[in-house]
Amino acid sequence: MIETPAHMRAQPAVGMLPPLRTPSTIQFTLGNGLEVVAIARTVAPIVSASLMLRSGADSDPPGREGLASSTAEMLDEGAGTRTALEVAEELEQLGADLYVGAGRDGSQLTLQVPSKELERALAIAADVAIRPRLTDEDWARVQHDRLTSLAQRRDQPEAVANVLSDRTLFGVGHPYGHPVDGLERTVSPMVAADARGFHQQIWRPNNATLVLAGDFDAATLPAVLERAFGGWEPRAIPASRPTPPFPALPRLVMVDRPGAPQSIIRIVGPGEIRTSPDRPALGALNAILGGSFTSRLNFNLREQKGYTYGAGSSFGFYRRAGSFTARAAVFTEVTAPAVAEFLREIAAIREAPVTPTELTKARATLLGRVAEGLSTSGGIAAQYAELRLYGLPLDEPARFVAALERAGVEELQRLAQRHLDPDRMAIVVVGDRAVIEKPLRDLGLPAPLVCNADGDLLRA
Amino acid sequence: MRKIPFEKFVLPNGLTVIFHEDRSSPLVAVNLWYHVGSKDEEPGRTGFAHLFEHLMFMGSKNAPYPSFDSIMESWGGHNNGTTSNDRTNYYEIGPTNLLETCLWLEADRLATLADVITEEELERQRKVVQNERRQSYENRPYGQSELVIPDAMYTADHPYHWPTIGSHADLEAAGVADVRAFFERYYLPSNASLVVAGDFDFAAGRALVEKYFGWIAKRPAPARRTPPPTVLDGNREITLTDRVQLPRLRLCWHSPPLFARGDADLDLAAQILGGGKSSRLYKSLVFERRLAQDAFAYQSSQMLGSLFHVGVTAKPGVTLEQVQKAVDEELQLFASKGPTDAEVERARNSHLADYYKSLDHLQTRADILNHYEHLFGDPDGVDRDLARYEAANPSSVRGELAATIARSHLALRTVPDGTAAPTDAHPEAA
Repeated sequence: MIETPAHMRAQPAVGMLPPLRTPSTIQFTLGNGLEVVAIARTVAPIVSASLMLRSGADSDPPGREGLASSTAEMLDEGAGTRTALEVAEELEQLGADLYVGAGRDGSQLTLQVPSKELERALAIAADVAIRPRLTDEDWARVQHDRLTSLAQRRDQPEAVANVLSDRTLFGVGHPYGHPVDGLERTVSPMVAADARGFHQQIWRPNNATLVLAGDFDAATLPAVLERAFGGWEPRAIPASRPTPPFPALPRLVMVDRPGAPQSIIRIVGPGEIRTSPDRPALGALNAILGGSFTSRLNFNLREQKGYTYGAGSSFGFYRRAGSFTARAAVFTEVTAPAVAEFLREIAAIREAPVTPTELTKARATLLGRVAEGLSTSGGIAAQYAELRLYGLPLDEPARFVAALERAGVEELQRLAQRHLDPDRMAIVVVGDRAVIEKPLRDLGLPAPLVCNADGDLLRA
Repeated sequence: MRKIPFEKFVLPNGLTVIFHEDRSSPLVAVNLWYHVGSKDEEPGRTGFAHLFEHLMFMGSKNAPYPSFDSIMESWGGHNNGTTSNDRTNYYEIGPTNLLETCLWLEADRLATLADVITEEELERQRKVVQNERRQSYENRPYGQSELVIPDAMYTADHPYHWPTIGSHADLEAAGVADVRAFFERYYLPSNASLVVAGDFDFAAGRALVEKYFGWIAKRPAPARRTPPPTVLDGNREITLTDRVQLPRLRLCWHSPPLFARGDADLDLAAQILGGGKSSRLYKSLVFERRLAQDAFAYQSSQMLGSLFHVGVTAKPGVTLEQVQKAVDEELQLFASKGPTDAEVERARNSHLADYYKSLDHLQTRADILNHYEHLFGDPDGVDRDLARYEAANPSSVRGELAATIARSHLALRTVPDGTAAPTDAHPEAA
């Protein structure tokens, strides 16, 4: 055995972690009510921008699930004076990346561009957001691509597990019960007029925040943005839909994937709203359970048992109460023992308090993530856009870190008892039914509800 | 503005050290490259370089498992590693006062890993890696192609003949003796380069690097391998079945190695042919003719030889023969008439802009410095790198693409195996 010098034998002292350093922000509002947040950062000669609209798939009309996403993805298929291909070519000429998409609660246009081309790229972005062409011809083409990709989603076991989890947890008719990109049967009846109508209603300056982070000229920025976005007209935004209660959860739901070498496991239960004061403590609780590499779930299922490449968990915090999800892709043969370990670990964290060492580590891990997230232009734009989506103040990262420091082991246990009841969660599995059903039943689980890859219940 | 400022020095034991300063956030990134990849594996031990990367987190003499990950997360940092054909890298990022700990952890495993690794630890990571293979390739649509392409494109005596993830049989065969031999041969200061980037003082940083790495013995660096020539004796056709809805065609040609003449031209050719919505294949096959759901092209540049790839997924009802015919037309048109000035300019702008965007993240800058050091023995590689794109013109791009596709190729077809979930199979409720 090699001899190591004395100074190698113990970890060096680390000392106090540096306090969170948050960037200073410039805030102003354009004449049409568009809120602007700008953060100067000169490390790289680029600007990252995010135009966040406060309406997403939760605003999809019943029967037209997927409309927010379909609309967003159509916006750059021809805008202002440019055809679809001209938009793509001009962005490439500028070296700009522009994406438009929808999430559960918001729709978003993101842009990343070398600083010297910022104004020209913003002009295209403004056309895309404000003046999309949305022609019948472009719509027909893109809709066909989308329907094909919805069919292809059935090939992807992780995506199938996501569809099934949301449908199981929230239920049909809940604003979060359908996949953001919709289902074949809800997208196929859509017509271009649906997208035009949705865009007219939702894509409005009074429903949006524009965040820019990077190397820009702060002195001229208000005038540059007024030129690009000043012609955008505000309009009253329709009220959002009411939120139905969580449905009663089935215990075991399955999609059969004959011959699959792995099973995708999701254990799902109700979560919390984004603005919940419990979010920092729930974040710490989750970091200990499954939200970090050395978390209990990953250490047990990956490092000790070798069942998976990675096991984890997360809370999804949204405008309406979201989800708790524990997840892993495991060897088919160990599906049932893996499910048993998930349930055991979830039960354990509510039955006994976490250790002070675990809590200290969780605080440091989350502080490190916030700090690193604020160390790039892209990360800053994404984080601040998300804050404004939920109406949160810009000092929220500092408040989050301060609240983490206050959260104690008793509070975490109280939250675990309220939010993490393994007996009341649904177990969702996408895998080889012929191999995994009996061992799962032998755990004492009931017969599974068996669904197809879109989450529709199959007849027995 | 585009250069990443740095200072470089070499320790007496051969470790190359590169410092980069960035005071914008109280963070430090440590980025350590070993000049060893799956190309250095022995026959019957494919996947070993990557398995070894996993073992590097299984504890060292003074930081027993699971200290590495646990210490990093306890102080607000995180870490990982990646393995390619050509190199293995390890990185940490965290608050600036974790720098000394990161250096201690990296040095301890470089000095002692083979002494402490056990059969049990190897067995556990073997299972993790086998799950990674299933998750990333076997249970992913079209994922098997990535396992087949190296086998089809390179002869058995070429170090790129197998995928980095390796085969299950070879992973099963690996033992602790292999770990020791691999460690002895490749994990030495003179076969590595260390970048430290971020909010730290260079003089203090140098003292720390000397303290933790300086005592490790000097050993001669291994010779780099010289591969046999990469030629394909005639076109190859392979058909795979997979659990997919739509068939996909992949075409692969041998192309010039990373940084050899033609490599950058082929990057631009790939961007013009298949880089997004402004590309020719997208315009023709997806947008206008509606034959394809997606189309892509890329030059996968590697040190011992590159591959030029084209891939197209057929629309429902379209055959791969129709797709292949349409792709051939586009390739022949490109090879005969070449791209326009405007196309080359757009592709070049896009490439240069990608470089500027990559400077946003501290860890990526550290990785770029190590990339150039790995290739040139000099971290100051950006001008040399980007000048290739600035010098490219329609004639050079046309010529390199024409020369590439004149070589024999692999046509790999993935076709549905018939088990993919059909549309609306007996739904109970709409």
